[in-house]
Amino acid sequence: MEDSIGKVVIPGDILQNLDEKKGKIKVTVGPGLIRDGSHIAVTKSGILRHREPSVFWVDCHQKRYVPARGDNVIGIVTAKQGDVFKVDIGSSEPASLSFMAFEAATKRNRPNLNVGDCVNAKLLVANKDCEPELVCIDSYGRSSGLGILPNEGFLLQCSIGLVRQLLRNKFNVLTFLGKAIQYEVAIGMNGRIWLHCHTVRETIAISNAICRSELMSDEEVQIMSKKVVDSLQGFE
Amino acid sequence: MKDHPLSNCEEKFVLAAIAENRRFDGRGVYIYRPIVILYGHDRGCCHVQIGCTRVLAQVSCEVIIPKQTRPNEGVLHMNVELSPMACPSFEAGKQSDYGVEVNRALERLLRDSLCIDLESLCIMSGEKVWQIRVDVHVLNHDGNLIDCSSIAAIAALSHFRRPDVTVSGEEVTIHPLDEKDAVPLSVNHIPLSVTFAFFDQGRTLLVDPTDQEERVMDGKMVVGINKHRELCMLHVSGKMLVLQDQVVRCVNIAAARVGEITDLIKDTLEKDNAARKSGKEFGFAKCLADVILGVDDLLKHYVDSMSVDTTSVGQTAKTVVDADGNRVQMEVDNAETGNVSIKVPGTGKMSTNTEGGAVTWCEGEESDSDVILLDKNDSTSSEVSSKQVSAVVELSDSEEESVLMTSQDLERTELSKSRAIETRENRGGRCRGKSFGGRNRGKRGRGNGQRYF
Amino acid sequence: MAGVEVVSEQGFRTDGRKPNELRRIRCKQGVFSHADGSAYIEQGNTKVLATVYGPHEIRGSRSKALHDRAYVNCQFSMATFSTGERKQRPRGDRKSTEMTMHMKQTFEATILTQLYPRSQIDIFVEVLQADGGNFAACVNAATLALIDAGIPLKDYVCACTVGFVDDVTIVDINHLEETNHIAEFTVAMLPKSEQFVMLEMSSRLHLDHLSKVMDMATKACKDVHLVLDRAVRDHVSEVWQQLGNT
Repeated sequence: MEDSIGKVVIPGDILQNLDEKKGKIKVTVGPGLIRDGSHIAVTKSGILRHREPSVFWVDCHQKRYVPARGDNVIGIVTAKQGDVFKVDIGSSEPASLSFMAFEAATKRNRPNLNVGDCVNAKLLVANKDCEPELVCIDSYGRSSGLGILPNEGFLLQCSIGLVRQLLRNKFNVLTFLGKAIQYEVAIGMNGRIWLHCHTVRETIAISNAICRSELMSDEEVQIMSKKVVDSLQGFE
Repeated sequence: MKDHPLSNCEEKFVLAAIAENRRFDGRGVYIYRPIVILYGHDRGCCHVQIGCTRVLAQVSCEVIIPKQTRPNEGVLHMNVELSPMACPSFEAGKQSDYGVEVNRALERLLRDSLCIDLESLCIMSGEKVWQIRVDVHVLNHDGNLIDCSSIAAIAALSHFRRPDVTVSGEEVTIHPLDEKDAVPLSVNHIPLSVTFAFFDQGRTLLVDPTDQEERVMDGKMVVGINKHRELCMLHVSGKMLVLQDQVVRCVNIAAARVGEITDLIKDTLEKDNAARKSGKEFGFAKCLADVILGVDDLLKHYVDSMSVDTTSVGQTAKTVVDADGNRVQMEVDNAETGNVSIKVPGTGKMSTNTEGGAVTWCEGEESDSDVILLDKNDSTSSEVSSKQVSAVVELSDSEEESVLMTSQDLERTELSKSRAIETRENRGGRCRGKSFGGRNRGKRGRGNGQRYF
Repeated sequence: MAGVEVVSEQGFRTDGRKPNELRRIRCKQGVFSHADGSAYIEQGNTKVLATVYGPHEIRGSRSKALHDRAYVNCQFSMATFSTGERKQRPRGDRKSTEMTMHMKQTFEATILTQLYPRSQIDIFVEVLQADGGNFAACVNAATLALIDAGIPLKDYVCACTVGFVDDVTIVDINHLEETNHIAEFTVAMLPKSEQFVMLEMSSRLHLDHLSKVMDMATKACKDVHLVLDRAVRDHVSEVWQQLGNT
């Protein structure tokens, strides 16, 4: 198994025969891998990743989001039903968000959320058997960056892979662009990115740059960001 | 199924951008996205792409009894299918309101404007006439379906050939294609539609709206016009009120645009005819390989052909089973360099063999193990292992062309993501606990472009 | 039917009208007791009935409810005896669905729907005799019915058909003229502000003649407006007199 880390694996590949290993080893398998009898088999095509001490998963390219607990997502409110908001996060079911799950919310003090607004929320409950639940506070009751996103931004839809890439890498298109342009960004694990800049032109430029950077290497991203920044500032 | 909902901030932003005359792909307000017209192998099959909107049209003909009120005229039947493949909000089966709108617009544009001479379709008055049927299927919906369908339909009608007929007294003979050459339809004029999206109570107009722009528009106007400045169809939809001078302005802009598109259709028709005559290849497989969609110049990025290292792969596949079932020792040739070419972000080519359909896999062969990418450096210099098949095996599944493999063909496996994958795989070290693939702290705040996540 | 002259040399059409003459319009409001609003209109030989119900609770699926405005539901139906040959399907075929959509769009733009969120307004139209200009007559009938029901509108919606043949613009096309494949414009507009709510055109028309045709359409709609306005005022004053108020 160790020799395939960082390499492309495809469904059906068998990674490790558990019986062979002597002694007790606790191996954690993540998305894309499944325990099939006595071995670990790959179910999605992508690159095998590893984290110490023994966590393995497959990074794959996907457009549709499958909710996972603890993920930070951006949802769009579709309905108000009594005490609960129905929020679309791009998964198979709309998620529910209680009005009490906001910072400083009480029965009398309700959040000012309308149909069509965007929220930055965290998935509290996300398993395959029931509808996902969102919250906009952390376990201490503070909002820590979650909550209603103001109406002045732009919501971008992209693939899950791109979002993971942006979150994983320290230097990516956002940092390169950020050296010259001021902007505010919220990244949701469900493939949605909320972006806000001073002008419409900058927002359009940055959103296009983010989408295109998915298949580019670092140097290419740098070259492209430089081009974008130059044209925004008027040189070209 | 529902498409994802439109959020308030998206709507507000798109309207603000349009108020400044800015479009997301950087187009001017009266400019079309790049239009690509491809013809298939069969006569009357046409595939049109406007940006990402894709539509396929097919023309077929049949002999029927004419209508009693019009015994001398043939029949032109149009049908547009909006399948859920194109957009999740389209329903299979029953036609939605939008489907009816597109169908009627196209019927009025082509049938009521008499673009095909129906009297020439008559074989025997009152008894036999040709029925020409145009079926348009929408493959991908990214806005502006009516324009795309109209281009596809009229191009397919101009491309189509019907069998020749001879009438001698009471006898009617329809000649099959190998006896007599098929006859083209008599197209009187080429009517095309131009769609305008209205915003801000008609103060701003856009030509060729994308799906995003269509969702936030007030209403739209579809103008059907031909090159000779004859108006063939006008259709206003949406909850908006228009003034007479707005209508006249739109119609004039449409007249200017239509000339270019008509020329494009004529050009592509000529090229296809020339290719058929001279015996060169034609059909979708050939054309699609040559198409590169227009991409914004600023972000256009042509990647040089890159080689991929698969040396470790070559070593595992040492023997190959040939057509006779004998195991043959193979020589892995590492001298060849492979080509990974990325045409456009998000697409890759599976085979450099441009004759689409020629599969170079041997039956019963051990599958090539994964293409493994080594590299610790960004600059790559590696090779693709190539397999040489010792025997010629015919796999003829395809209706179009017979699929042949020869020992001369080399297999190149390319992954569209190989470049991206290769530079990412070494950075995947730091990840947090249970969430696979990235940090998930929901911090957001102002900053000088700091990445908050 | 080629060979039938639409406009004769003396300038008269097949039914004896001049090119810019409308057919005789006769209309009546309040014909049905059950509906909230109803009207009957005769434009020449085209006879149309319209009824309006609403604003009432959303029927059928709750999902149709719009949170900020009323939902307008239209139904356009042609009686089986309305055309020369018996019509097999009174509604549900493509042309009728298109007419229904156009009506819905026309009235959604004219009715002040923001005043009645989460409710539904129904407009039912039945063509009893179709002799050309069916859609225009339906729109006119529906306008009268809406006014009868007391639903607030931005303005009257007046509709008319205009044709162009042999360099002559003709107004209010009848069935015989329609079958001759002439360039035909159907317009619905708000007469006071001269804004078009709906515009449809078929067959071929050279661009140079477009402004002429549209001017004629505007004038025709204004003429229709005068007739409808007269009819509404008469009806209202009659009702008030009967109720004992002057």
